[in-house]
Amino acid sequence: MRNVTPSMFSGLFNQGIILLVIAGIVILTLLGTSFYIIDQTEEGVVTRLGKYIATTGPGLHFKLPLGIDKHYVVNVKAVQTEQFGFRTLKSGVSLVYANQTGESTMLTGDLNIVEVEWIIQYRIADSKAWTFNVLERTSTIRDVSRSAINMLVGDRAIMDIMGPERSAIETAGAEFMNETFRGYGLGIDVIAVKLQNIDPPAGVQEAFDDVNKAEQDMNRLINEGQQAYNAEIPRAKGEAERHLLEAQGYATERVNNANGEVARFNLVYEEYRKAPEVTRQRLYYEMVEKVFKDDKETTIIDRNFNNFLPLKDLGSSSGTQRSRQ
Amino acid sequence: MKRPIILLPAAVAVIVGILMIGPVYIIDEGEQAAVVQIGRIVRVITEAGPYIRIPFIDEVVRYPKRIMAWDGEQKSMPTREKQYIWVDITARWRISDPQKFYESISTINAAYSKLGEIIDSEVRTVVAENYLRETVRNSNIILERLSTVDSLGIGDSIDASRIPTLMQTGAGYEPIQRGRRRLAEEILTRSRKMVPEYGIELIDVVARQIRYSDELTQSVYARMIKERNQIAQAFRSDGEGKKAEWLGRMDNERRSILSAAYEKAESIRGAADADATRIYADAYNKDRSFFEFWRAMESYQTTLPKFDKTLSTSMDYFRYLYSPR
Repeated sequence: MRNVTPSMFSGLFNQGIILLVIAGIVILTLLGTSFYIIDQTEEGVVTRLGKYIATTGPGLHFKLPLGIDKHYVVNVKAVQTEQFGFRTLKSGVSLVYANQTGESTMLTGDLNIVEVEWIIQYRIADSKAWTFNVLERTSTIRDVSRSAINMLVGDRAIMDIMGPERSAIETAGAEFMNETFRGYGLGIDVIAVKLQNIDPPAGVQEAFDDVNKAEQDMNRLINEGQQAYNAEIPRAKGEAERHLLEAQGYATERVNNANGEVARFNLVYEEYRKAPEVTRQRLYYEMVEKVFKDDKETTIIDRNFNNFLPLKDLGSSSGTQRSRQ
Repeated sequence: MKRPIILLPAAVAVIVGILMIGPVYIIDEGEQAAVVQIGRIVRVITEAGPYIRIPFIDEVVRYPKRIMAWDGEQKSMPTREKQYIWVDITARWRISDPQKFYESISTINAAYSKLGEIIDSEVRTVVAENYLRETVRNSNIILERLSTVDSLGIGDSIDASRIPTLMQTGAGYEPIQRGRRRLAEEILTRSRKMVPEYGIELIDVVARQIRYSDELTQSVYARMIKERNQIAQAFRSDGEGKKAEWLGRMDNERRSILSAAYEKAESIRGAADADATRIYADAYNKDRSFFEFWRAMESYQTTLPKFDKTLSTSMDYFRYLYSPR
């Protein structure tokens, strides 16, 4: 008996320990699956036995353990981005992109080809809808976005897409996507559609660049024309001014000369009237003196010597020779 | 005292055992199921929650209740004008009737290929019935913008009113009757008729991308290049024209400036000449004979020194050469 009792007792004791351990494990499991934490940026979507019961906000929450309640954590604050036509391989100081040409090639409304890269930014607006309504969410977002941009690009001429219609495409794209996603009950809001690079295909890039060059050429030619104009016209204006000033100079000179000559004439005339004959004679002699004073080569022929002319040396050496022969 | 201690683990084991066989099953939110009892559908479940079944006999076939994406392969197909284009179609669908779905298709993968058959053939039909522009464009806004400058790729550097005369691109756009969205709707309507028997609901069909076939792409590139070249040429010619215009304007202005100056200068000279003439006439008219004499004296002094002179002594000047009286 003494032997049995301690063994019985120890058996009971052992059983108690096992039960305690089992109970401990069970309690820990229950506690471990009974609480969950929702971050400030998140919402929790809770189902009980598969059925949706609540959406919970940030904080520590209790739920029924053992998988009776399940919760899904959805980030409702973060703005998520999808890239189209390119992928960011490495972000940071220097971004590295991989171009995905297949996705970005589109037909334009004027049946040209254009490469469009764009991104969309969205935020989950309805965490319940996001969790339960659509199965392939990312591919759905991508498909709809691509179809929207393709459609909008297909509606416009290539130069409009590359230029003035950019923002119209962005606005209409966001609108169209939101409308479609609401139709699916996807539970997201597209915040922004941003077109990135819009380029003509590589094969025709050069021709597009040439148009820019041609525009530069045009401006250069126009500038050349203007330059020539600007160089010539002021010069012509100066020349015109010179003509006028010269004419004015001439006019002043002419009138002054006339006045001077007339003044002299008048003064002489006054004296002449007092003694006309003498003055005439004097003036005559003065004239002859003045004309012949410094002249050494004047020939004077006697009035009776009639045949002088043939003998005169006319200054031609050949004539001189001939006359000597 | 001993019994419950031994019975408790036994009871737990039994309960766990029963649960593991699985009379209770949970349909999650976003799921639906068909319950198959030895090959026969006995129940369709579309609401989330816990349900009871007969273990081993009832088989629960779960299907997504969510919207799923069907991703078509890119396929080359001819349009009405026999241009080959690549069309990339995607669709959204859901299982609307799990019973029919189980009976006719039963697996999701089979549904994808079934949808592929149906939608592909409808896409081919619709694309072949319509012109390319109907597939590419969605509206006629391109026609409204046609007259504007930007569609030709001219910036603000050229006066907009001059463009029509500057360039004849001849790119008239045909108006479209229906457009991309309507065609997609038509594909959807046609395809929808085929799918209810499979327990499928088609939600939408969208063209994710439309591209030219590779041969067509090359000729489109060639056309785009030519179009750009034309515009570049127009720019350059415009520049040359403008330059010529400037040069012409320059010549015109230079001539008019100089001739105007000449005109003015001549009138100034003329007025001066007239003044001088009047001054001379007023003075000289006082005594005609003295004027003649005076003027002759002046004139001889100016002109005679330059001549090679031969004088006859018959001149009055030499009168006293022969006689003192």
